[in-house]
This record gives sequence, C-alpha cells and structure tokens, in this order.
Amino acid sequence: MKQDGNKHEAFSLKTRLKRLKRDSNRWSVFTLAIVFFLALPIIFIGVELFSGPGETWSHIVTYLLPDYIWNSLYLVFFCSILVLVFGVSSAWFVSRFDFLFRKQMEWLLILPLAIPSYIVGYAYAGIFDYGGSMDLIFRQLNIDFIRIDIMNRAGLAFVLSISLFPYVYVSARAFFLNQANNLLEASKMLGVSERKTFFKLMLPLARPAIVAGLVLVLMEVLNDYGAAKYYGVNTFTTGIFRSWFSLEEPETAVYLSALLIIIIFALILFEKWQVRKVKFTSSKTNSSQIQRKETKGYIKWLIFSVVFLPILLGFILPVAQLIYWAVLTASTVFDFQFIILSLQSFAIAITSAVITVFFALLLIYFSKWSTLRSIKNIARVGVLGYAIPGAVIAIGIMIPTLALDKWLIKMLGNMGIDSGLIINGTLIALFYAYAVRFLAVAYNPIDSTALKVDNSIPDSSKVLGVGNLKRFLKLNFLSLKQVYLVP
Amino acid sequence: MKKLILAVAAFSILAACKNDSEKKDDSAAQETTKDQVVTVYTHRHYESDQNIFKMFEDKTGIEVKVINASADELIQKMKMEGEQSPADVLITVDAGRLSRAKDLGLLQSIESELLEKSIPTHLQDVDNQWFGLTKRARIIAYAKDRVKPEELSTYEDLTAAKWKGKILVRSSSNIYNQSLMASIVANDGEDAAKNWAKGIVANMARSPKGSDRDQVKAVIAGEGDLAIVNSYYIGKMLNSPDPEEVKVAKQIGLFFPNQNNRGTHINVSGAGVAKYAPNKANAIKFIEYLISEEAQQVFTNANYEYPVLKSVEPVQDIKDWGVFKEDNLSLNKLGENNKKAVLIFDEARWK
Repeated sequence: MKQDGNKHEAFSLKTRLKRLKRDSNRWSVFTLAIVFFLALPIIFIGVELFSGPGETWSHIVTYLLPDYIWNSLYLVFFCSILVLVFGVSSAWFVSRFDFLFRKQMEWLLILPLAIPSYIVGYAYAGIFDYGGSMDLIFRQLNIDFIRIDIMNRAGLAFVLSISLFPYVYVSARAFFLNQANNLLEASKMLGVSERKTFFKLMLPLARPAIVAGLVLVLMEVLNDYGAAKYYGVNTFTTGIFRSWFSLEEPETAVYLSALLIIIIFALILFEKWQVRKVKFTSSKTNSSQIQRKETKGYIKWLIFSVVFLPILLGFILPVAQLIYWAVLTASTVFDFQFIILSLQSFAIAITSAVITVFFALLLIYFSKWSTLRSIKNIARVGVLGYAIPGAVIAIGIMIPTLALDKWLIKMLGNMGIDSGLIINGTLIALFYAYAVRFLAVAYNPIDSTALKVDNSIPDSSKVLGVGNLKRFLKLNFLSLKQVYLVP
Repeated sequence: MKKLILAVAAFSILAACKNDSEKKDDSAAQETTKDQVVTVYTHRHYESDQNIFKMFEDKTGIEVKVINASADELIQKMKMEGEQSPADVLITVDAGRLSRAKDLGLLQSIESELLEKSIPTHLQDVDNQWFGLTKRARIIAYAKDRVKPEELSTYEDLTAAKWKGKILVRSSSNIYNQSLMASIVANDGEDAAKNWAKGIVANMARSPKGSDRDQVKAVIAGEGDLAIVNSYYIGKMLNSPDPEEVKVAKQIGLFFPNQNNRGTHINVSGAGVAKYAPNKANAIKFIEYLISEEAQQVFTNANYEYPVLKSVEPVQDIKDWGVFKEDNLSLNKLGENNKKAVLIFDEARWK
C-alpha cells in the first residue's frame, strides 16, 4: 500500500500533483465521477454550512438544541446496546448451534426490517394504548392491567432497536458463517471453552462486520422522524423539521442537516480508523461453512428463546397488531386501487434496489481497482445520504435536477419543443433520490464483509443483496405515497 | 459508465450557464391547448377528498392529478419549481400555510363571484388568493365524571391553578396548536400569549405526545381531565371502525370555549390557485366545485368538518353538538402570527 500523504513538507505542490497523477489510474477518475454524482445532493446541502443558518438560530440554540442533542445521544447509546445484544446473540446462535426451527428463524430474523420503524412505533402504541390490544386481552382475562406507557424516550429506543437490529444480525451472521470455521477448529484443538472462544476470539474478529451493521442502524436512528414525532421525543431530525416547517426557515433546516452529515461522517471515519487497528487477516481459501453444534436440554430451549424473542418483538407482535387494524378497516382500505398502488410500489422498489446495488458495486470495485488508495475515504461521502431525512434529501436532489430541468426546457424551447419538467416529477428523480439515500444500505455490508473474503461480485451481492431488497421493499411498500417527488 | 460521465458533464455545463431568467410569454396561448387536467397539491389525505375529486372528474371531464404531501413540503416544492411548477391548486389544512404561500408569491388572485359570495369574508383572503373550504373548531374534550361543563369557560381559563396536572394537548409542532396560539397572540397580545403558554405547560398532565385522538383516549384512561382537540377527530372517533375508539368518543364531553366573548377558535382547510398554474381556468372551476353543495356535503358527511357553505347542514353527529359562536378573527392573522406562536411555544418549553 502506498502512503499517499508523504510527511515531508519539502515537497512542492507541483510534486504532490505529479505524485497524485502517478498514483491514480482511470478507476480513480471513475470513482470520483460516481461519488460526485451520488454525493451531489449531499454536497448541495453541505454547502449550506457556509451560508449559515437563518435568523432564529440563536433561539434554536437556546431553547431547542440541548434537548435535541441530549435525546439523540440517548437514542444512539441505548439503541447501540440493544441492537448489539439482539443482533449479535441471534447471529451467533444460528451460526454456531442447531436447534428447533433454526432454519426458519434464520430468515425470520431479517423480517423486522420489512416494517418501517415508524409503523412498528404506531403498532406498539396501539398494543399498549388505552383500549389497545393488551388492554383488551387483559380485560377478557379479567386481570387488572397496568398500562405500560411506551410513548417516551425509552420506548422509542426499544422500538427503533427491535426494528433495526437485523442490520447487525445480517452482517454478523455473514461473518460467522463464512469466516469462523477455521478459527473455531483451531480454538477447539487448543481446548478453549465455548464462551471464551466467542468473547475472546469471534467477537473481536467480527467487530468490523458488526460495526458496519451498527453504523447503518445509527444512521437510521438519527434520521427517524415519524416515530420520534409520534412518541413526543425531540431529536436532531425532528429539529430539522421544526426549523423548516414551524419556524419557516428552510435554510436553518438544511444547516442542521449539514451538521448532521458532519457528525455521521466523523462516525464513519472513526469506525474505519477503529477497524484499521484490528490487524485483520483472513484466509481467502476457506469457504467451508461452520459446523453447527447440536444442543440438548435446557440449553436448547434457552437458545431457542434468545433467538425467538427478537422475532416475536420485532415482527410477530407488530404484524399481529397491523393485521388487527387491517381487519377493522378492511372494507375501506383494500380496494382495487390499493392493489395497483402496492404493485406499483413493488416495481419501483425492486428497480431502485437494483440500481442502488449496482452503484454500490461500482463504487466499491472502482475504488478497489483504483491505485490511489485515499480514494476510499472520498467514496464514503456517497453513503452519507442515509443519515439524512428523506424530505431533506429531496431538497438536495431538487436543487441540481431542477436546474438541469430548467436548462433542458430552455434548450428544447430553443429547438421549438415545448416541454414541462423532464426529470422532476418523474421516476428518474425518484430513482436518483433512492440511490442517493440508500447507497449506504448496499455499500456498507458489501464493503465490510464481501471484500474481506475476496468473493466475486455475484457472490457478494447474493449474500447481502437479500437484505437490501428486503430493505427496499420495506421502505416502499407503505410509504410510497409520501414520497413527494413523484405524483 | 458513459451515461455517468455524460450526466456529470451535463451538470458542469449547467453550472456554466446559470442564466435562465427568460420569461415564458406564451403561457396564455398554452392554457387553451393543454389537455383537460388540473394538478392539485394537497395536504388533505382523506377518503372524502378522493370521492369529491372523482365526482368532479365525472362531472366535468377534467382529470384531477393529485400530489399528496404535507403543506410545508408542497410549498417548498412549488418554491423550487418556480415558473415550471405543474401545480394548479394548493390545498392545505390550515389558513396559516395558505397565507405563507401567498407571502412567498406562490398563489395568485382570482376572480370568482361565486367563491367571494358563498364563503364568509373572514374565511377568505383579502386579495382573493385563497378560500376556506371547511371549518374545524379547536374544542375542549372533558371527562364527564370528573369535570362539570360549568367549570369551563375560555382557553385563557385553562391556565388556572385548578387544572394543574389535568390538561392533555399534543406537541406544539402541530399546526392546529400553532394556529390556536396565533389566534391568542392576535386576540390577547404577545405577552398574554406567552403567559398562557407557560400556564398551559405548568398544567399539563404529561409531556405532549401522540395525536389528537390519543389525547382524547388519555382523558378516558384517566391521565388527565381535559384535552384540547379538533372537533372533527371526535366525529371520526364516533364513527371509527375500532369499537374501542367509538366507546371512548361516546364517553367524552365536548365544550366550545370562549362563547361569552370572541368565540371558539376555528381553522379552515382551504385552497388557492397557484401563481404559475398551467390550467388556471380549470383550477378555478375545481375550487368552485369544492364549495358546491354536493362537495360540501361529502366533506361534512365523511370527514365531520363544518361546511363553509351556509346552505349545507353539518352531518348529524356534529349537529348534535349544537350551534356555537366562532371567533371571526380574519384568518390572515393566523398566518401572520404563526412564527411568533412557534417562538413562544419554544420559550415556554411546550414540546
């Protein structure tokens, strides 16, 4: 690996440029082009940092910001703990042991991602509400039920964690399945206990994969708006919308988003720096799958429960509540138009998923083939979109695309063609927006797991593409109507 | 790959020639040649509206293209689209957003004798840039077993010490609360409004969260005694597919505050014609249809709102609540005072 930033100050700018030219190849240029394309909306938002916030900034700093920061930190902290517990434990158990319904649970564990977290939030509010499902059940049983108030900060942390832990599960499991076998063999031969093997060997080695999943979770925790608003928790993101909508200052909203981008970027760089310290080498040749241990007695049930719990909380309970509501409103909601809309969303979701994974692969492999190593850090700018609320991304998208549209209209007008907006209000803008927003979901897992084992492209997208697809389906199925870029 | 490079190239060219202040001068000619459509940007996401749009299509043959999002997002979208905006009509659920759209130059004055005459003066813009379509009252829902209606009087009275720990109200990020506060700023002045906000925060039963419906449920659950909510939510709960919501709504008492002075705060859902509407004539026709008797009837029947048209009777459920005196404050004031209201909320730490 070349050291791009030579420490000797003696080099002139000219020499540096020469070196840059020497060290880069066409892949470096291609990478930069893609990053530029995908990061354009984020760059437009980032530029707002220099034009400063609006006039209510000092008001926000005095009355709102402390609360936003405090609540966001609270969520980041507790969600990290919860998703690590749920995600890593379930990933380890399904990879290492064999037990009742293991195969089914292996994929069931991904499903919580299929419901947007704000929907899970509504569902849980419905479960614990006055006259909610719990209330009804306990009334039936004639038991005095003490209502649990879930609509608060702790409840929000729980809801977000239980719907987002599969990110950690997926990446940890991929590591355990593909990487762990040799190490386990060695550890067994040396007579190391099961527990020690996990905590001293597997966990540290899986850290890069786990952290990659965790970063996705945290980005989504930070961009959550629906659940936080409903639960009455003011976070950085609710603040973005307050300054935009209530305080009528879009520039302040964009300024706050830009700050959020910087925080996330710092987080990502920190993660990469952390991982770098772990001297992580793995055998390329090993592709044998892990040998699962049979379980017996109470251990079997214990493991079963640990794995089943997140499925129950993250999928079965919220879905049961949603089905109950669906049955109540069945006559009014499920009509022909609903089915058409669903199919439409489905098609858009799949197309966006394919486009985004394609971009992620281009970005990963181009930067890998690039001889200029520092390009990798630049490539990461592209994934920042995931931390920003969709509506703000939409602004970032509309700035360049509207400019392009206006230019096109002018050009076509000169040629005597009268056209409306070509990019905005069509699927092109929507796909672009999705690619910008969800790149991280495709990029991070592929990057952290697939490249380390040096798999081929098809392999890596197969291993991780499933999760991505689910992810896209999840976000689109219910919320397409709210995506306001397209009629 | 080539496409990407092309795209990047296109963007850079674009940056070079950023001069596009040319005005279109054929907009008038365009109007007549366009297909029969009207593009509606609307914040209203109710079934009633879908039905009304369908009725309009059947009646006039004009296709209604709907773009659904929050008013703020729609306003931002219109602002960015500028002259190219396909929007013909903007519909919001509050007057404040309409007057903001007007201030941003996104709407235009229209001439319609029908609209001007049918809609009460205080429910329409002075420059005819927007018109109220339906009314909602911000009322007090109370626990019948714990509160006597005689104990209630005005919004201002809710800050009294006797209501400590009893008031349920949602977040100040909600537009209905912002409009209520804006009306208090307009009626009582800024200082009084500040004290009012502080007084309400001091009397809150819990930190604000959830929707208006959740506040009503919390009254019956015993978390507080009073909830400040919009009238049409009670109507919706009374007719909810969820039997538990119906039960809750039946147990609740309704009180219309400030009957002995200015009247209960009302807000409107309203519409205006977009500044650059490509189909202006259709847009006017569309808004005129929204205040036709049949459309007004659907608004009240399906969504439990008060019609703005005097000749249309409100649906039975809300007729049962009786007639009330409404605050005749010009709704333009709500828009003017909205930002002030939000700043006051923050200072009072009303989440």
